[in-house]
Amino acid sequence: VKVLASYSIKGGVGKTTAATNLAFLGAAEGRRVLLWDLDPQGGATFLFRVAARIKGGGEALVAGKRDLLDVIKASDFDNLDILPADVSYRHLDLWLDSQRRPTKRLGLLLETLADSYDLVVMDCAPSISLISENIVRAADLLLAPVQPSPLAMRTLDQLASFAADTKGRTPPILAFLSMVDMRRKLHRDLIDAAPTGRIELARTVIPAAAAVEQMGLRRAPVVQWAPRSTPGRAYASLWREVTDRIK
Amino acid sequence: VAGEFAVDDGPGAAALQRVTELLPAGPARVETERRTWLDTFDWTLFRAGLLLEQRAGTEHRLILSSTDGTVLCQAPAPRRTLTDATLPGGPIRDKVFPLLGLRALMPRLTAEGTTALLPVLDDVEKTVARVAVDGPFTAAGATVPVTRLRVESLRGYDREAKHVIGELAGLAGLHAAEGSVFAALAATAGLRPGVFRSKPEPTFTATTPALTAFAETLGQLAEITRDNVDGTIAEIDTEFLHDLRVAVRRARSVLKMAGGVYDEAVFVKYGAELKWIGDATSLSRDLDVNLLEFGSGLAPSSVSERGLLSATDTASVQPFRALLERKHRRAHHALNRVLRSDRFATLLTGWQTDLAHPSSGGELATGPIGKVARDLLDRAWKRVAKRGSAITSASPADDLHDLRKRCKELRYLLEFFGGLYDRATYKAFVDELKRLQENLGAFQDAEAQWFLVRDSAEELRATAPIETLLVMGRMAHELRLRQEHEHAVFAQTWARFYAKENRARFAAMVAGR
Repeated sequence: VKVLASYSIKGGVGKTTAATNLAFLGAAEGRRVLLWDLDPQGGATFLFRVAARIKGGGEALVAGKRDLLDVIKASDFDNLDILPADVSYRHLDLWLDSQRRPTKRLGLLLETLADSYDLVVMDCAPSISLISENIVRAADLLLAPVQPSPLAMRTLDQLASFAADTKGRTPPILAFLSMVDMRRKLHRDLIDAAPTGRIELARTVIPAAAAVEQMGLRRAPVVQWAPRSTPGRAYASLWREVTDRIK
Repeated sequence: VAGEFAVDDGPGAAALQRVTELLPAGPARVETERRTWLDTFDWTLFRAGLLLEQRAGTEHRLILSSTDGTVLCQAPAPRRTLTDATLPGGPIRDKVFPLLGLRALMPRLTAEGTTALLPVLDDVEKTVARVAVDGPFTAAGATVPVTRLRVESLRGYDREAKHVIGELAGLAGLHAAEGSVFAALAATAGLRPGVFRSKPEPTFTATTPALTAFAETLGQLAEITRDNVDGTIAEIDTEFLHDLRVAVRRARSVLKMAGGVYDEAVFVKYGAELKWIGDATSLSRDLDVNLLEFGSGLAPSSVSERGLLSATDTASVQPFRALLERKHRRAHHALNRVLRSDRFATLLTGWQTDLAHPSSGGELATGPIGKVARDLLDRAWKRVAKRGSAITSASPADDLHDLRKRCKELRYLLEFFGGLYDRATYKAFVDELKRLQENLGAFQDAEAQWFLVRDSAEELRATAPIETLLVMGRMAHELRLRQEHEHAVFAQTWARFYAKENRARFAAMVAGR
C-alpha cells in the first residue's frame, strides 16, 4: 500500500481539495483507495457525505483496540472508501504521545490495511506536531500545497527542515502552487520564479476557481462532476505527476 | 450482508419501479448488456468452483467469481468474445490458465438483457446501499427470462443494507433467490453446468440381459461421439477429436465382444462402419499429437535432459514444423469432410437406433451380462497373457504393438464391466494395467514419431536447409533411444503386471470373490 499525505503547515491552502480530488482519480483508475481524514474539521468527510464520527471514538483506533476496517465507510464511488474524521481528533497528539513508539503509530496502523487498499491518501490537519512526525514517517510522498506568496513559500523551507529532522527516512516532498489567480501579477511572477528552496515544485498549477468552491455545495470532487473544467484538468495533471513518483 | 431475490412476475422495469416507490433512491443507471460465460467443454472452471464472465455493455468487463456469485477479480475486457488465446494478462489469466491444460475456453452460455443499478440514499443523499436489477435476461436458446434483484451492501453501511433487504423481502412477487443468475439462466437453456462425460457410465447389474447392457453402453458412446463432433470440426481444442476417437474406439471394442448378442447383420455392419470412422480420425489425431509434442519438445525426457529439441534447435526445425502444420491442415480438412458426410450422419442415426435401441438380438441377447462378462474378460486376459509372456528383448516392434492393442481391449472391457466387480480389486488391477499400457504407449509413440521424422526428412530433403535435416537426425536418434529404453524396461513392467499377486487379483475379481 502506498501512502500519499496532503500536508501543509499553514491552513486554508487547498489541502483537502487536493486530497479528495486525487483520491477520486486514483480510485477511478481502478486502485483501491482509502481517504483518511485526519483533520478534526472533517472537510473531506463532509465532502463525501459521510458522518464525521468514529464509533467508539478515535482513541481506541489509535491505541489499536479497534480495527481500522470496522470504522471505514464506502463513498458513493467505486474503489473509494473513507476513514472519517472525528471531532475527538483534536486530542490526537495526546493519544499518540501515550502510545509506545509514538512517532510510528499511524504507520503501524496503516500496515494493517495492506491487503485491502492500494493507496491511502491522508488529509492532515495543518500543524507541526507529533501527528506531523507520524505522517512524515508513514508517507511515501508528502504533497504540499502552497499559495503563491513569499510568506507561504517560506513554510516550504520549514517543511523541508522538519521532514529532514524527523527520525527515520525522509519521504520525497512534492509542492504545488494552489489557489493561483492568474489575473494577479504577483501570482504570475511567482509561477515563473518560485523560490522553493530544497523542495521540488510540481509543474501543475491549481487555479483559484469557482468550481473548486462549488465542491462544498455539490459534495463531490470537481474531477467527478466537471472533469474537463480548468481545475478538473489541473488535478488530473497533478495526479499524473504524483503517480510518476509513487508507482 | 448480501441479499438476492428472484423476481417471479413482470419485467425488471416493473420491479425497479416498485423498489423506487418503496425506498429513497437516486436515479438508476440502466444499460443493455450481453453476458457470456466462458469455460472449457469439460467445465474445468466450474468444477474448480469458478465462473468466468465477459460482460459487454457500456463498459466491457471480465469478471472471475466463485460459483456462489462472490466476485474474485474484475478487469477491463475487449469487445470481442474472448478465448484462452486472447485472454488479457493479469490476475484473472494467472488464476485461470494453469487450470486449463489442453482444453480451450469457449462460450458456454450467452444471455442478453438489461441491468439497472439503483443507489439507495440516506437523508444527506449519501448512497448507503445499492439495488441491482439484473434482467430480464434471456439465455441464447431459451425463452423464459430471468430477473434478479440484488442488494449490494457498502462498507460501513451493513445496517442500512439489512434494512433494505428487509423492506424488499416484504414486496410481493419477490422471493429469496436460490443459486446464481448463471445457474438460473443455464437451467432455462437446458444446460447442465459441470456435467461432462468422456466415457460411458453404465448402470447395469450382473443379471441385466446382455443386449440391454450393450445397448446402454453403446447408446452413451453414441452421445459422447455426437457431443464432440462440432468441437472437432471447429478445432476448438485437440481434446474434442481425442474424445471422439476414443469413444469410437471404445464402441468398436465393445461391439467386437458382442458377437451373438446383436443380430449378425447389425454386428457386421457397424463393425465395419466404426472401423471406417476410426481410421478416418487417425491421421489428424497423430498430427495433433506431433504438434503438441513440438510444444513440449524442450522438456527433458526419460532418456535425455535435453528433450526432443534443444532451445537452439527451434529455429532450424521450423521447416519441419511448417510441413507438419500443412499436413495437419490437410488432414483436418479431410476429416471434416468425413464428419460432414451423409455416411457419417447415417452412421450416427443408425448407431442410435440399431445399437442403442435394437428391436431384436442374437442368441446371447437375453442371457445375463454377468456370464458374458466373465467369458469375455477371460478370453481378453488370455490373449494379453499369451502375447505378453512371449515377448523377449529380441521381439520386433509389431509384437509390442499387438500387445498394446490387446491391452486396450482388456481395458475397455474392464471399464465396460467395471460396475459388476468389487471396487477396490477392480481399481488395483486397472492401476497395474495402466502402468503396463503407459510403457507400451510410450514405446509406440516413439516408434510412430520416428517414422514421422524419417518420412518428413525424405520429403524435405530437396528443399530444407541442412541444419533442419541435422536437427531431425538428432530427433530421430532421441526417439530411437526412447524406444529402446521402453523396450528395455518392458520385461520389468511385464513381470510386475503378470506377477502371481496380480493374476490372483484378476481371477478373484472376475469370479466375484
